[in-house]
Order: sequence, then structure tokens, then C-alpha cells
Amino acid sequence: MIAENIFFCVEKHENHLIVKFSKNPESSDLQEFESQLESISGHYIILDCDTLIEANRDFIRVLLKLHLATKKDNKFLKFINVSPSLLTFFKKESLDTTFRMAHNLTDALSEIGVVPKRSISADFIDSFLQSTTKVLKIQADIDVSHGRFEVTKNQENGICDVSGVIGIICNNFNGSVIISFPEKTFLNVLSKMLGDEINELSSENMDGAAELTNMIFGQAKSILNEKGFGLKMAIPSVVLGKPESFLSLHAGSAILIPFNSSEGHFFLRIGLSA
Amino acid sequence: MFDPKTKVLVVDDMLTMRKIVTKILRELGFIDIAEAQDGNEAWAKAKSGHCGLIISDWNMPNCTGLELLKKVRADKDLAKTPFLLVTAEAEQQQVAEAIKSGVDQYVVKPFSKEGLKTKLESTYKKVSVRNSA
Repeated sequence: MIAENIFFCVEKHENHLIVKFSKNPESSDLQEFESQLESISGHYIILDCDTLIEANRDFIRVLLKLHLATKKDNKFLKFINVSPSLLTFFKKESLDTTFRMAHNLTDALSEIGVVPKRSISADFIDSFLQSTTKVLKIQADIDVSHGRFEVTKNQENGICDVSGVIGIICNNFNGSVIISFPEKTFLNVLSKMLGDEINELSSENMDGAAELTNMIFGQAKSILNEKGFGLKMAIPSVVLGKPESFLSLHAGSAILIPFNSSEGHFFLRIGLSA
Repeated sequence: MFDPKTKVLVVDDMLTMRKIVTKILRELGFIDIAEAQDGNEAWAKAKSGHCGLIISDWNMPNCTGLELLKKVRADKDLAKTPFLLVTAEAEQQQVAEAIKSGVDQYVVKPFSKEGLKTKLESTYKKVSVRNSA
């Protein structure tokens, strides 16, 4: 806590400040608030407006002053819990585009970049569907179709004998993509990729799962980064079976997409970090 | 198209990918193909004389394909060696960096036999023009 007043209090966090208002301000409150601006303006500031029903022009003047001061420091203000009446006032004063608003604290923190946005959009899933279909067709001449996808919290769902895994770090969230094959499907796919019949899984050929994951991720990354997702480059790895260390690392909720092909079934699992 | 006797060096940290590229090259008629699993091993093989064409993955541990390309272009004996970079990612910034470093062609995974053949033909034309200039 770096400042406290009946009208407001300021919570200091590592990367941001949260300013909470306890009531609609009076002029003496505003003077006190204004005197604190210099000490708080060099941070990302989240203004919790939960208790504010309205704002007068003096209050707006102080908020604009704070807005400009944070902007000067390449930071910004984020308003949360803005009531409909306050929002109407902001709109009336044409301030609704000047002041940045978030639905709640979690959203505000994710927009500041303090916590990841925890959402997988339809665009995100679609790009991985397209990429999986394309990679299997071009590299292995296999036509695949996908089934209905589901959200799962079961860490073993969709994890088969051979899995290619790659971490996702992007603007929206952190997580992972796993493409997982039953052994028979993997050997069939590998045989098609290499043009030789492969009958046995070995340390020499299991990297094929990582390579497929790498290609699928690379294709999806190109599509998604054109849309501003900001996916970072990542290195794939291979996991055999269901070791506990692997499952616990991917224990968060995930989108599970089953695929089918003439060479057998497999799964694509897009997960959020636990 | 390249002379089938051209010595080709295939560089990739993934054995499966090296096998795929080698298989396609053999189908296209190449007979003298060596493999390396990273840029350092490739550099040693290239310097020892096995190098009429390099097809290298970009993302590899120890020495990446881009680092290998820069070393090749800076070496007086190897500077004119045709060089294809293979990668799963094809973002503009990457392509621009590879071109700036002197890559002859950029192959995006996944690729088919026909896809690689087209890139090789294009590389051959480019290199022919460059070497006759």
C-alpha cells in the first residue's frame, strides 16, 4: 500500500498499481488524489471503479492528467468494473475511446501482460486443423479428417503411445500442442513419409513425431502471426507413453481434436498451461 | 538441373528429415549424398571437400542453418556453394534474413518431391547466372 485516503487507496504490485475508489469524490478528495499523481504515474495503473456511480468534470480532469502522465512514461491506465452510468458519462464526454477499459481485474492484468490471456480462439484451433491436414497430405500423402472436438481436463485424454510436443508462447496465452499417435498409426504414417515400411518403433525413427509437430506448428504459426498472435519459435520433443512428469506438465484444460485417416487415428491436443 | 554427380550435403538434426530429403534426392538422380546433424558437423564435412550443394535445416542445436550459411558465404573456397535453407516457418522477417545472408532458395516444410525439385531447378538457374557473371 503506498497511499490511502477515505476516497481512494493504492495497492502496489510488482508490475502495476491498483487504485481503488471507495466513493464518489468530493473536491477535497480530488486535491489529495491529485497530489499523489506524481508518485503513481510511472506505473501501469488499474483503476477499480466498482463503487463509482458517476464522475464530475473535476474528477475527469484529474483522470485525464493521470492518463497523460502514464502515457508519457509509456504506461497506461486501465479502468475496470466501470458501471453503466459511468460508461454513459464517459461516452457523453467522448472519453470512452481515450480511457482503456477492461471487464475485470484478470482481463486488465492480461492486457498489461502481467498474466497470460487464457483463451484459445476459433482462429487458433482452425489454423492447427488446416496445418495438420496440409502437413499429413504433403509430407505423407495421407488424407485426414477430424472429428468433433471437446474440452477436456483429463490429462490422459488423447495421449497415446508416441507424442510430439511443442510449447506455445504467444500474446494470448501460454500452453502446448501435442500430436499423439497410437504406435500402429505412427508407424504407418512414418512408412508413408519415408517410402519404406517401418515395423518397429526405435530411437532412430521416433523423431518423426517431433518433425511432424514442428511442421504443423510452423504452418500454424505463419497463419496465426499474420493475425497478430505473436507465436514465438519453439523446439519440439518426443514423449513415449504417459510418464507422470509429462502428464503433470500438461494438466490444464485442453482442446482435444480426434483425427482419422486410412492409416489410423491420432489426436491433436491444444492445452493451456496448468 | 544439377549434375547428378554433384556432391550434396544434407544437414538436419532430425534423422527422419534427413532420410526424407535423401530419399527424394536419390529419386531425382543424385548419388553422392552425405549427411550432417548440425552446422558444426556440416562445416567440417564441407571444408573437407564434400560440398557441391548444401540443403540445410534452419533450426538446429549447436550451429543453426543460418549460421552455417553465413560461414559458407564468408569462406573463399565455399562462398559460391549453392545453399538451400529448409524450415517449418516462413515468416517475412525470416525470409528476408536468409536472403540477406545469401541463401539461394528457401524451402518450407512440408514439401513434396515435386516441390523440392522445383526449388532445386530454380537454385540451379540462379547459381548458373551468378557464376557466369
